[in-house]
Amino acid sequence: MRWPLRWPAISPRLALAAGLVAGFAAIPLFYIALRAAAADPEVWRRLLQARIGYLLGNTLGLAVAVTSGALALGVSMAWLTERTDLPGRGVFRWLLALPLAIPAYIGGIVHLALLRPRGGVIPQLLAELAGRPVAAPSPLGFWGAAFILTLFSYPYVYLLSGAAFRSLHASLEESARTLGRSPWRTLWEVTLPALRPGLTAGALLVALDVLAEYGTVALLRYETFSSAIFVQLAGRYDRSAAAVLSGVLVALAVAILWAELRAQGRARFTQMESGWRPAPPLALGRWRAAGFAVAAAAVFASLLVPVAVLLAWSVAAVTDPAMLAAVVRTGSQGFGGFVWNSLWSSGLAALLAVTLSLPVGLLAARAPGRLARFISRTCQVGYAIPGVVIALSLVLLVNRFLPFLYATPLVVVVAYVLRYMPQATRASESALSQLAPSLEEAARTLGRTALQTLLQVTLPLILPGLLAGGALVFLTSLKELPATLLLRPAGFDTLAVRVWIWAEDGFYMQAAPAALLLVLLSVAPLAFLLRREQGRR
Amino acid sequence: MSLRWSLLAAALCLFVLTGCVAPAAVEPPAAAAALSGNLVIYSGRSEPLIQPVIEAFKARQPEVKVLLKAGSNSQLANALLEERNNPQADLFITTELFTIQALARQGAFQAYRPAGAERLPAEFVPPDNLWVGLTRRARVIMYNTDRVSAADAPKSLLELTDPKWRGQIAAAGSTNGSLQAQVASMRQLLGEPATEAWLRGMLDNKVTFFGSHTDVRKAVGAGEFAIGLVNHYYYHLQRAEGSKVGVVFPDQGEGQMGLLTNATAVGVVNRAPNLAAARAFVDFLISAEGQKLFAELNYEYPLLPGVALRPEVQPLTAVRLAQVDMIQATAAFDATFALLEKVALP
Repeated sequence: MRWPLRWPAISPRLALAAGLVAGFAAIPLFYIALRAAAADPEVWRRLLQARIGYLLGNTLGLAVAVTSGALALGVSMAWLTERTDLPGRGVFRWLLALPLAIPAYIGGIVHLALLRPRGGVIPQLLAELAGRPVAAPSPLGFWGAAFILTLFSYPYVYLLSGAAFRSLHASLEESARTLGRSPWRTLWEVTLPALRPGLTAGALLVALDVLAEYGTVALLRYETFSSAIFVQLAGRYDRSAAAVLSGVLVALAVAILWAELRAQGRARFTQMESGWRPAPPLALGRWRAAGFAVAAAAVFASLLVPVAVLLAWSVAAVTDPAMLAAVVRTGSQGFGGFVWNSLWSSGLAALLAVTLSLPVGLLAARAPGRLARFISRTCQVGYAIPGVVIALSLVLLVNRFLPFLYATPLVVVVAYVLRYMPQATRASESALSQLAPSLEEAARTLGRTALQTLLQVTLPLILPGLLAGGALVFLTSLKELPATLLLRPAGFDTLAVRVWIWAEDGFYMQAAPAALLLVLLSVAPLAFLLRREQGRR
Repeated sequence: MSLRWSLLAAALCLFVLTGCVAPAAVEPPAAAAALSGNLVIYSGRSEPLIQPVIEAFKARQPEVKVLLKAGSNSQLANALLEERNNPQADLFITTELFTIQALARQGAFQAYRPAGAERLPAEFVPPDNLWVGLTRRARVIMYNTDRVSAADAPKSLLELTDPKWRGQIAAAGSTNGSLQAQVASMRQLLGEPATEAWLRGMLDNKVTFFGSHTDVRKAVGAGEFAIGLVNHYYYHLQRAEGSKVGVVFPDQGEGQMGLLTNATAVGVVNRAPNLAAARAFVDFLISAEGQKLFAELNYEYPLLPGVALRPEVQPLTAVRLAQVDMIQATAAFDATFALLEKVALP
């Protein structure tokens, strides 16, 4: 039998498998588009009049504010830890990335309890000291939401720009210096432009996160599309309004995703060829103390405060017998039940997402072209579909077409897969693109079938990359809130849901043990990812 | 390195195995003669307000595994309607009567007349027995006594739009069943234009709308807001935490609408998978023991005569209650949602 020397160029089976995955990934998108288009024009008219402009302004305003804030904080922290002689930068490198383990809504709960006007710990303390109410910054509303979301999403930018700083050619900056640029002008005119693709990617990730965010904005009483859709779903009998709002939100997110994919395309040109060596760290001199203070403040607000407060609350909850009984016996199962639910649903989602991403990655790496690119981009749409929208489409679709799956935890898992498959797809594509096709060709020459080659050669070699993708899906699924809240069957609580149910009713101490555990569980996959990332330098 | 990877891989495999096993646990087991199996309750009462009753029921029926899904009345009502051909829940508990009445008309429930129903007031046991009332609660104004004196506190819901309270009032938002029911009642008592004007007045007055009444009561208790619009037991719960709060039973004056009240209720879902346990739970809810739990733990007005109120709860006998036609209000519930949406209440 003759077979092409390259990997069977476009094996129909592979293309079919990848196409099916892409079709699966695009289901919610098309379903929502259909529902929105089919909605009564009267609903559109009413929403356009009363809601859409307002929500668009709110949502975009928050996205712009948080993205700028995360860029400023993330890049400056990456610069401090990667390019200067900041004291303790080895430790800061870890501490600054760890807030990724803290869901923004948990951070929001903590800062709200501390800073809430009059009721918060700090305003009350100030009032006691001063003998009268003192105005403290409020975490509520636009600025509060922007502050909290910036604090807990800057690590995306930090990690991506940190990697970019590390892979940057030292000679680039040296040439600029030799040509008479000051260090400051070199940073602005050479270094940052060279980082641009990485920065754009990070910024747009943050922006998409803001569009999808439900818990934080609901908690801080700032209305965006996501929270308005949730209210529509939770509070109204008519689902067409939710579908219309979802359609607008998804269109917005797809536009942002499209921009991100273009940025990703350009990012390839930053790959460095041989001769890389690290740039010498810049001596901060008398600015060392200031740099240290800024980095310490970022770690303080985004990591130490939430963890310390959760710890204190947990201790209070565990030592008070009534509260402990409430914590241990809440919901339909004990505490162990929802820890277990969190673990297995996120783990299964990670495994499914990685498995589904394989044909897509194989197609993209072995048969690049229009078809592969189209399929790969279709698999990225999950990024653009917020959890509430995925939940809405699944409720309607599963109940109509797969009633036996309805109200099982599997629907929750499917939501995680749909939402976070892009992370697995990217990881698989990148792992496969780094694998030389010659290895597989050798296996085929030696008589292995395509399947044997895949199982015996390809998979073992790309396993680390796949695990990284899986760890990312696991981490984000663990934190997922809105889709879980809407899709969970009775009695199926996850840690995130538990935290939310307690905190929504103002029972912060009862929420703390679950929140703390959620953070701790997130640290394991995150540490794996960070070690891998930092091992690349 | 490879050890770590293989550990992670092993962990992933473990998750998959459990993932394949766990969904099976959700399937309701075959009905047995004795009470057992899963009892699935959808509750519009928030979890802390229903959990103690579930615990007490479980103490009597240790073989029944109660699975609770708490949410807003309308979210769960939506789920029940969507699940009509594929019923998941056995019971539905609401915090007001309009939702349960609307669902009953759409055939979501099966008739069940619980043991002891004849002792409840007739208005809370409809002739078709598709639902049964559990407890009564009143819409009241609570205030922080550090910020407002009893004399200055508003005496009518309509006074909440007075600009002197601008920015000082907290209330629950439009997803809250009690607020929805209040607006539905006001539409009937005052008419649509007056109700719309009141809602717009609340919005103009910079009322802060929270997701839940617990937030409202805590904020008023802490003095973050001077005034809260809540159900009466939230005032008692906050007072029990030591806060300086007072309460007004509003609209008692001549020509005013009277105190708005509503009732929590329960219905047995049509084709409930675990009918026997569902019926036993309803019986328990209206028994003296169940009613006593609602009254003692949550300061509510039990519907079963003879069950004592908490001493600090003011009896409703001396209060003039608003007269709302339930059937009419239920029929107009859609219009209530449309109104909430029209004024864009958060």
